[in-house]
Amino acid sequence: MPLLQIKNLDVEFTNNDAPTKALHGISFEVNKGEIVAVVGESGSGKSVTAMSILQLLPSPPAKYTSGEILFSDDDEKTVNLLNLSEKELRSIRGNKTSMIFQEPMTSLNPVFSCGQQVAEAIQLHDRVSKKEALQRTVALFKQVQLPDPEKIISRYPFQLSGGQKQRVMIAMAMSCNPSLLIADEPTTALDVTVQKRILQLIKELQQQNNMGVIFITHDLGVVAEIADKVVVMYKGKIVEQGPTQTVLKSPKHPYTRALLQCRPALHPKGERLPVISDFLEPKQQAKPLVKAVPELKKNSAEVLLEVKDLTVKFPSVKNFFGKTLEYNTAVNHVSFDIYKGETLGLVGESGCGKTTLGRTLLRLQDAQEGKIIFEGKDLLSIDKNELRTRRKDFQIVFQDPYSSLNPRKTAGRAIVEPLQVHEVLTSTSKRKELAMELLGKVNLQPEHFYRYPHEFSGGQRQRIGIARALALNPGFIVFDESVSALDVSVQAQVLNLLTDLKNEFNFTAIFISHDLSVVKYISDRIMVMRKGKIEEIGYAEAVYNNPQSAYTSQLLSAIPAG
Amino acid sequence: MLQYIVRKLFYGILVMLGVVVFVFFLFQGFGDPSRLVMGQRADAATQENIRKELYLDQPKWKQFLWYLNDVSPIAVHSAEDISNKQLHGLFIGTDQTKIGLKVPYLRRSYQSKREVWQLIMEVLPGTLLLAVAAMIIATVIGVFLGVTAAVKKDTWMDTSSIFLSIVGISAPSFFMGIIIAYLFGFVLSKFTGLHMTGSWFDIDEVTGEKYLTLKNLWLPAITLGIRPLAIIAQLTRSSMLDVLNQDYIRTAYAKGLSKNVIVWKHALRNALNPVITAITGWFAELLAGAFFVEYIFGWKGIGKLTVDALEKLDFPVVMGSVLVCASLFILVNLLADILYGVIDPRVQI
Repeated sequence: MPLLQIKNLDVEFTNNDAPTKALHGISFEVNKGEIVAVVGESGSGKSVTAMSILQLLPSPPAKYTSGEILFSDDDEKTVNLLNLSEKELRSIRGNKTSMIFQEPMTSLNPVFSCGQQVAEAIQLHDRVSKKEALQRTVALFKQVQLPDPEKIISRYPFQLSGGQKQRVMIAMAMSCNPSLLIADEPTTALDVTVQKRILQLIKELQQQNNMGVIFITHDLGVVAEIADKVVVMYKGKIVEQGPTQTVLKSPKHPYTRALLQCRPALHPKGERLPVISDFLEPKQQAKPLVKAVPELKKNSAEVLLEVKDLTVKFPSVKNFFGKTLEYNTAVNHVSFDIYKGETLGLVGESGCGKTTLGRTLLRLQDAQEGKIIFEGKDLLSIDKNELRTRRKDFQIVFQDPYSSLNPRKTAGRAIVEPLQVHEVLTSTSKRKELAMELLGKVNLQPEHFYRYPHEFSGGQRQRIGIARALALNPGFIVFDESVSALDVSVQAQVLNLLTDLKNEFNFTAIFISHDLSVVKYISDRIMVMRKGKIEEIGYAEAVYNNPQSAYTSQLLSAIPAG
Repeated sequence: MLQYIVRKLFYGILVMLGVVVFVFFLFQGFGDPSRLVMGQRADAATQENIRKELYLDQPKWKQFLWYLNDVSPIAVHSAEDISNKQLHGLFIGTDQTKIGLKVPYLRRSYQSKREVWQLIMEVLPGTLLLAVAAMIIATVIGVFLGVTAAVKKDTWMDTSSIFLSIVGISAPSFFMGIIIAYLFGFVLSKFTGLHMTGSWFDIDEVTGEKYLTLKNLWLPAITLGIRPLAIIAQLTRSSMLDVLNQDYIRTAYAKGLSKNVIVWKHALRNALNPVITAITGWFAELLAGAFFVEYIFGWKGIGKLTVDALEKLDFPVVMGSVLVCASLFILVNLLADILYGVIDPRVQI
C-alpha cells in the first residue's frame, strides 16, 4: 500500500460563476521513504496539488470535483482525505501529514515566539503539558541544527534570518513525526548556500524517519539533488513522471525537454536561449532552434562610470536625542570601474549590499563617503536640479514586476511619464508613438498601451519595466534582480530580449542577481560581493570557471548540479 | 522601554507647553475680564483692584509668565501667593521665593469664584466613566462584529454588519441621543427601567447624601459608543480580511488548529494595530467631545461644564478644561504607543 495515492484529482475554482479548472486528472503516488518532486512553472498547478492534499485551499472558490486522495500510514486502514470531516482532517494536519511553505518570512506568525508556535502544534496533537511541549521544541530545534535552541524558543520570527526561520518551519512540521511531509518550494526564497544546507537537512530527516516527501519546486537543479521520482506538471496536467534520472536524462515530453534546455547555465554568453514555444510548437521549428547572435562588439576601454571608495551606512542604534550611535555598513569602501558598453554582473547573497550599491549608483540612496564619477562628473556632489536633469542618463529595472508598476496607471502612461518629466519630444502624440514603438521593441503589442498592469503576466510586466527604462535612451541601466521573480522559461525570453536590446540601444548595464548562472550568461565581467566588500572581480568565464576567491567557489559549489 | 516612555513624556510636555501658549493667547481677544468679573455695578476702584488681582495691569508677556507659573506643576511662588491661592503641594525656600511641586493652579471661576481645579475634578469622574463605558461597548461589540464580518465574508452576516456600521457612522450623536433617550427612556421605560435623563450620582432628598445612579450610564454610553463601534467594526473587518490571507494563517491551518483558535488567537492579534489606533483616538476624543450627549442626558461631565462656562464667558474654566483634556489626550496616546509594543513585538520600543 503506498503512503499516498492521488487518483484522477480534478480541482476547480469557481469565480463569478465561471469555473476554471486548475487540475485535470492528477494521479501519482508517494511511498514511504521516498522523495517525489513535483516540478512546474507558475500556474502549472503544482501548489494547488500540494494544498489539495490537506485541503488548505480556501473553499469556496476551490472545489474538488472528482478523484480521490488515499492516505494510509499504517498499511491497514486507508482513508480518502477528501471524504473526511473537518475534525478528522484537523487530526491529520500537522500530525500525520505536515507542510513547509515557500516564504519563511511570512509563514510564521509575527506576534508569537518561535517556541510558542512549535509547542502549540505539539500540545494540540499529543496532549502534553506546556512545559513538556517546550522541552520537545528545544530538542526539535537541536535536530534541525538551529544555534542556541534554548534562546531561539523565546525569539520572534523577525529576529531570525530566512534560513533560520525555514528551520523553525521544518521543526514545526517534524514536531509530531509525520509520515508524509509536503514541502512547497521550501528553498526558493533562500540563498544558494542556505538552500544547500536546508536540502541536506530535509534529506537527513526524511531518511531518519522514513518519511514520504512531496517536494514542490520549479528548479530542476534541486530536483536532481534530492528527488527519487519526478512528476512534471504543465497547465494543470501531469505531462511526464518517472524516476529522476530517467526523466532528467531522457525526457520524453517536449515541455520537460524545454524546461531542461532553457536554463542559462548551459549556454555560453550571447547564444540565444531556447524558449518553451520552440519545443511545444514544432511547426515553427523551421527557424533554427538556437539562433546564433552576432558576436558582440568589442568593448571599448573607455570608462563610463568610476566608483571610488564608496561607503553607504544605515543607522542602527540611536541615542535618546535621536543621534546615531552605530551604523550598519551596507557598502564598505568599494572601488571599481564600469566600461562603456559592457554588462557588469553583480552577484552576492542577500544582505551583501548589492542592491544598496546599485541604488547608490543612481543616487536613489545617499552615500556617506566616496565618489561616483559618471561622464566626468561626481554624481554625489551635484545638486538636486542638476541631478534631476541627469536622471535621464541612468535608469533602473526593478526586481518585482508586480509591485514596481503603479496599478492605477496604464502601461503606456508608465512609459510616457519619464518622457514628459524630461520634456523629451514636443507633443503628447509623438511621445505616445515612441511609447508604442518601445512596446513593440520589447515584444508587446501597441494596443497594450491602454492596459493596466494587472492585465499582464509577470514576464510582460517586466518587459514594460524595461521599456520604461529604455524610453529616455539612457546610457546606463541598472537591472536589480530583474529576472529573479520569473519562471525559467520566461526568464529565458527576457534574457534573450535583453541581449537584443543591448545590441540595438548599446547601453551599459549593471546586472544584479543572486543567481551566478544567469549572471555568467548575461555579463562580460562579474563582480562578487560579500558583506559590503568586493570579493572578486573579473571576466565572466574566468570567475565562473576558475574562481580566485574561496567565497566564490563556495557559491559556485552550492548551485544544485542538475 | 523606559527610555521610550521618558522620551514620549518629554514630547508630551512640549505639546502641553504649546497648548498653554495657544490657550492663553486665544482667550486674549475676548474683552476685558475685569468687567466680566465685577458684573454691572462696580466703581473704577474695584475694577482697578480686580485688574491688579488678575495681573491685567502687567504687560502681556508678564501675564503669560504668571499664567504659566500658575498652571505648571513645578513653580515658583511667594508665601503670600501660596496662601492667597490656596496652593496644594510641597514648597521649599524663603518666604519671598518658594519653589515646589504643586497641583496645577487653574485659577478661579469668574462666576462662582470657586477653584477651577475643583470644578473640573468634580465632573471628571463622570466623563471618564462615560467614555470608558462607551469605549468598552464599542470595542467589544465592534471587534466581534468586525471579526464575524471578515470570517463570514460575503454572507448575510457580513453585509448586515457593514450596513449597521454605515448607519452608525452616518448618524450624528445628538440625533441618535434624542432617539435613544425617547425610545428606551420614555416609550420602553416600563421594560428598561431607565429614564430619559440622569447623571451618575444623585442626592438623597432626605439625608442630603450623594448616591451612585449607575444605571443612568446605559443610554448615554450606548449613544456615545455607536460611532466608534461602527468604525472599529469596519477597521477590524478590513484588517482581519488582510490578515486572514496571510501565509501564517495557512501555516496555522496546516498545523491542524481549529478555525476558532486561528481566528481569535492567531489572526486577531495581528489585526489589532489599526484598531488600537482607532480605539485610543476615539477614547481621547470622547473625553473631550461628549458635550451633546452629556447635555441631552443631563450627565454631569467635563463637556457640559465647558459649554456652560463658554456661555457665560467664564474663561478660566474653559482654559482649565482645555488643558485637562489635552493632558488626557497625551496620556491616552502614550498608552496606545505602549500597547502597540505589547501586542506586536515587532514594534520596537
